[in-house]
Amino acid sequence: DGVAVLPAPQNLSVHSTNMKHILTWSPVVVPGQTIYYSVQYQGEYESLYLSHMWIPSHWDSPIAKPECDVTDDITATVWYNFRVSATLGSQTSAWSILEHPFNRNSTVLTPPKTEVTKDGSHMVIELEDLGPHLEFNVVYWRSEPDAEERSKLIKNGGISVHLQTMEPGAKYCAKAQTLVKAIERRSAFSRVECVEVEGEALPL
Amino acid sequence: LHRCPTAMDTDPVKQSFQAIKGAVQANDTFKNVTILSKLQSIKPLDMCCVTRKLLEFYMERVFKYREELSVQISRGVSSISNSFLPLQRTVQPCKARRLCPCSEEATRATSIINSNYDQLEVQAAVIKSLGELDVFIAWIDKHYHPEPSTA
Repeated sequence: DGVAVLPAPQNLSVHSTNMKHILTWSPVVVPGQTIYYSVQYQGEYESLYLSHMWIPSHWDSPIAKPECDVTDDITATVWYNFRVSATLGSQTSAWSILEHPFNRNSTVLTPPKTEVTKDGSHMVIELEDLGPHLEFNVVYWRSEPDAEERSKLIKNGGISVHLQTMEPGAKYCAKAQTLVKAIERRSAFSRVECVEVEGEALPL
Repeated sequence: LHRCPTAMDTDPVKQSFQAIKGAVQANDTFKNVTILSKLQSIKPLDMCCVTRKLLEFYMERVFKYREELSVQISRGVSSISNSFLPLQRTVQPCKARRLCPCSEEATRATSIINSNYDQLEVQAAVIKSLGELDVFIAWIDKHYHPEPSTA
């Protein structure tokens, strides 16, 4: 097969946010030519028991861009290794391996984008859809001294969820954070959002 | 009686197994043979020991043999085997703290499972053991319901 005259890709690294993991590397440049890349991975099990075995990434190879979404390859909270090789016609480079194995428990968790609205006298929240791994903890309260905070676990984003029924003349607030059970972590809270129902406050 | 481990999160394994269950069980040519026999007769006291030994059985004697599997099944087995590592790390401290005793019955039950495996040619035994993963996971779930997580 092709003699390895093509340089191997360098500077492999994984960028992970909200459990979406992107492997990137420095492109191999041959003027006027398109370079294709192949990506393979190895979980901690393979590195312990089957160190010779590398598995083709779910992301269809060959790839023309110097990046690959490896989210579907990483299905356990253990260490994963990745390697990339470059191909130009019959020439294939050596494999280049990720310098430090990656574990999904290091993913960056961002507070979710939220939209708190009112539907008549109902307080409603909508959260952005961040994919199957992420759930949401929503904390909400009536804006008054010694307010009692309540919380609700929301399994999916992208849908409107009723939080509570509101009384006229009162202000109600909410904030949310992402939860990832698989790695037992949660994000910071989003900024607080409030809504108010017009009208006279009810007599005590 | 202090139960060890207190919980086992089998969701990752279940998700990975569902992806290849049909393909694996379709490749099982010895339908009338069972490898994971006798699980239902295991006593609560022996749960930890048998769980630990079966996790080891799969890690050492099943997940290693993938050469003849398709890429799709091989990926699924990789996913399952890597999801087994956290389960092993959940059970391991119990043994270290002598909370994972093995009675004669438990040892005999796991020996029977290993000899069931040995009755078959390796590739057939691997496919059958993979196909019976849902039996093993259901058995773990029945005994280790995870405590509800507080929000």
